[in-house]
Amino acid sequence: MTAGGTPVGAGRRLARAALLGLAAIAVVPAAFAEDAAAWLARAAAAARQQNYIGTIVYQHSGYIETSRLIHLNDLGEEFEKLVNLEGPAREVIRSQGEVRCYYPDAKVVRIEPRTFRNAFPSLSPQQQKALAEFYDFRKAESGRVAGLEAQAWVFEPRDGLRYGHKFWADPATGLLLKARIIDERGEVIEQFAFTEVTIGAAITRDMVKPTWPVAPPGWHVRQQWHGEDDTKETGWTVTRVPPGFVKIVEGFRRLRGAREVAHLVYSDGLVAVSVFVEPVGGARHPIGLSTQGGINVYIRQLDENLVTVLGEAPAVTVRQIANSVARR
Amino acid sequence: MGEQISRLMDGELEGAEADAAFRELKQPDGVATWMCYHVIGDTLRGSGAPNAGFSERFAARLSAEPTILAPVPRQTHRLPLAWAVAATVAAVAVVGSVAVDSLGSQSIAVAKAAREAAAVRAAQARPAPVSPDYLLAHQEYSPTAQIQGVGLNLRAVAAGGADGRP
Repeated sequence: MTAGGTPVGAGRRLARAALLGLAAIAVVPAAFAEDAAAWLARAAAAARQQNYIGTIVYQHSGYIETSRLIHLNDLGEEFEKLVNLEGPAREVIRSQGEVRCYYPDAKVVRIEPRTFRNAFPSLSPQQQKALAEFYDFRKAESGRVAGLEAQAWVFEPRDGLRYGHKFWADPATGLLLKARIIDERGEVIEQFAFTEVTIGAAITRDMVKPTWPVAPPGWHVRQQWHGEDDTKETGWTVTRVPPGFVKIVEGFRRLRGAREVAHLVYSDGLVAVSVFVEPVGGARHPIGLSTQGGINVYIRQLDENLVTVLGEAPAVTVRQIANSVARR
Repeated sequence: MGEQISRLMDGELEGAEADAAFRELKQPDGVATWMCYHVIGDTLRGSGAPNAGFSERFAARLSAEPTILAPVPRQTHRLPLAWAVAATVAAVAVVGSVAVDSLGSQSIAVAKAAREAAAVRAAQARPAPVSPDYLLAHQEYSPTAQIQGVGLNLRAVAAGGADGRP
């Protein structure tokens, strides 16, 4: 029997079309993942590329910190100055691939080189899949933030292993104006928000210079680590990785006085959980769970190593990862 | 003194006033007044006089009760709530002290445990600072930190500032 033309062939075509339709529906999460990933990429690009100056309020656990933020992208080179407006002065300067934190009351400056090199980690296909599978991403209401019309977007988790996230962005540039982390009870546990901001402001290099020289005389300079990170297998692994999380990087870093620390990062496309393993000998350290806003930290001792796991994820997720850290 | 304790029993006091009344309860006279008013109240409501030996039996049962130091189901996110909880536990400690005074020495352990529980809870209410270098290292790889741009620095500043240790 020849295909096509006959009622049977038509029926088959219809069936095939229906199947294709189903396939198209099945593909929707992938398309959605691209949307979510594209949205994240745009927001990250705006944070790097736009010039802006404003006042930002960071709130968590009844704690409020108000800071002045200036960001300049000068021909692809990024400069950022962040000064807190209350309490002991703290100044963070980001420039030329490093972060410098000034603590004038203690006369200390910490210098932290960055490996990130201003590149948003384009999400791997696995991370994009996790985004679609474990979050419901949708457009929410629009409203005013920092005096600007903002569009809200929501990442609602589909299980209890991640927090909810709500972001308000400037529609014109994609720059984030407000961000919230929401726990399983619907409570806001951390919030960053501009109270006022000028996007596209005229900003000069002078405005993003530190108040003090690189190494002020009489100050203690803490250089956190030198050179490149060593990206390789560390000999450590996580045996029970929570669903949706995939390992995105593994290597050794020099932290805390140049001690070599194994660093593994697991991400579900929206957040990350870091595993640090450092040899501490027989010394005892405080262990257990602590929280700073949307970040949970779980510390445990494993033989003569200190395992520190932290990330923007609920305690249960962080603890599961920490408790299943083992030698490969 | 009597009036404040009376109002406390009627649930009319809050905050500083209630705290003041709790302090009064720690005084021997305060405890006597508290017990006296309850006996008056019970009598007025027709509950009758307490059975002989009730205080001793209650003290014995209370001290036999396991002290439940339940794991905190989640971290406390809002300090006022934490304070409220701590205050509640502190109130339990106060009542525990009353029990010590009025019911004998057996419940000293209970009162002590209650006070310790209050201290534990108060300590947990304040999140421990997170090492800034760990936070900075972590946030280089966190997609949300990247879209927030400055967010990572703010967290690190807060972390470094919390204990005054750079």
